[in-house]
Amino acid sequence: MTEAIFPQIRIMPARFLYPETAEKLLNGICKVGVVRRMTVNGPRLPPTITEGPGRGLPNPHPGRKVIHVGGEEFELQVQVGTLILELENSDAIPVIRQVCDEVFTNFSYTLQEGKFMKSQMTVSDYAKYGEIEDKEMLGMSDPKGKQCPIILQGTQ
Amino acid sequence: MAYKPQFCAGTTKVAENRRNFMNPAYKLQKIRDISDEDVVLIMGHRAPGSAYPTTHPPLSEAGEPKCPVRKLVTPLDGAKTGDRVRYIQFTDSYWFAPMHPYLRSYMASIRYRGVDPGTLSGRQIVECRERDLEKIAKELISTECFDPARSGIRGCTVHGHSLRLDEDGMMFDMLARRILDKDKTVKYVKDQVGVPLDKPVNVGKPMDEKWLKAHTTIYNSNGGTGFREDKEAIEFIQTIHSLRTKYGFMPKE
Repeated sequence: MTEAIFPQIRIMPARFLYPETAEKLLNGICKVGVVRRMTVNGPRLPPTITEGPGRGLPNPHPGRKVIHVGGEEFELQVQVGTLILELENSDAIPVIRQVCDEVFTNFSYTLQEGKFMKSQMTVSDYAKYGEIEDKEMLGMSDPKGKQCPIILQGTQ
Repeated sequence: MAYKPQFCAGTTKVAENRRNFMNPAYKLQKIRDISDEDVVLIMGHRAPGSAYPTTHPPLSEAGEPKCPVRKLVTPLDGAKTGDRVRYIQFTDSYWFAPMHPYLRSYMASIRYRGVDPGTLSGRQIVECRERDLEKIAKELISTECFDPARSGIRGCTVHGHSLRLDEDGMMFDMLARRILDKDKTVKYVKDQVGVPLDKPVNVGKPMDEKWLKAHTTIYNSNGGTGFREDKEAIEFIQTIHSLRTKYGFMPKE
């Protein structure tokens, strides 16, 4: 079980972010350099149409774009709506708030401190995935998913 | 005394807007121009200019049985010619869209003949004979019932009603059927089921926030009129709730 001794925060902008804004925000947070784990949440942008008569056709979407964060390149698969971060220490929270203030100029946001990441497996997790070996990955992404988590090297 | 329908309770602007949409005597305000061809393109049921496919022969040739009800009810143009039944489906954002899904169904039932409206959580579908549907769809898109940014024409993958808006104020759309172009107009680049269009369809500029808040039919305490502010609406809802809870479907008091 992951010990919940590290501070966790949740950033929730009032609007869904476009890839350019998400990239700017993530790079700003990345520069702070105290993030242990991070999840980016939002509604999915499927590569193909999933329902209806057009099922299977390509779904070009401006939100599904390759972005560069901390030297890594990856394709956004969601329209960014919420960021959950686990930090090394709580001293960085005011700095992250400042980054948010600089990025979210046209709309508001909330930054909350609390416990937002899973610390133990649920019965549903056992049923769906079996035993998850890496407890740090618990609740972060789909263990059976094709895409691996992205490791940002950072400055440390 | 002649019965005068009241449509819905409430003293706020939101309630008044709801009553207006439901009242067939109220003339819907025209906001934008959209051509017949563009309506056909967005719906995607047939190619513009092509003949209407039929499901049965015209009624004049069908040899209808003698029936007093058939004499009483005048068939729609589409029914006369045997058109297919097709649909248009709308999603309206919780963020001050001019309409909301249940109101669309009430409105369609009251204002139009020969339609089959249906509300499913955040979306609303209107089914009708094809040529009649096109007329109805044109009215629904070109009048104050529709806002290019906060209302969407979505045949499938309708997710967006209760979500936050995009950065530019557009309702989230998983299939990106419409875009806010550089000239600040909204253009449909895909039809209602997400199939790309050969040419974009312009549905005009999104209405500003002030207009939306003045014309919305959605109670929203987060920046608009909260439901708790409408004492008359609350009293009405509580009365109905109380009567139904106490007496089921046969209230006698």
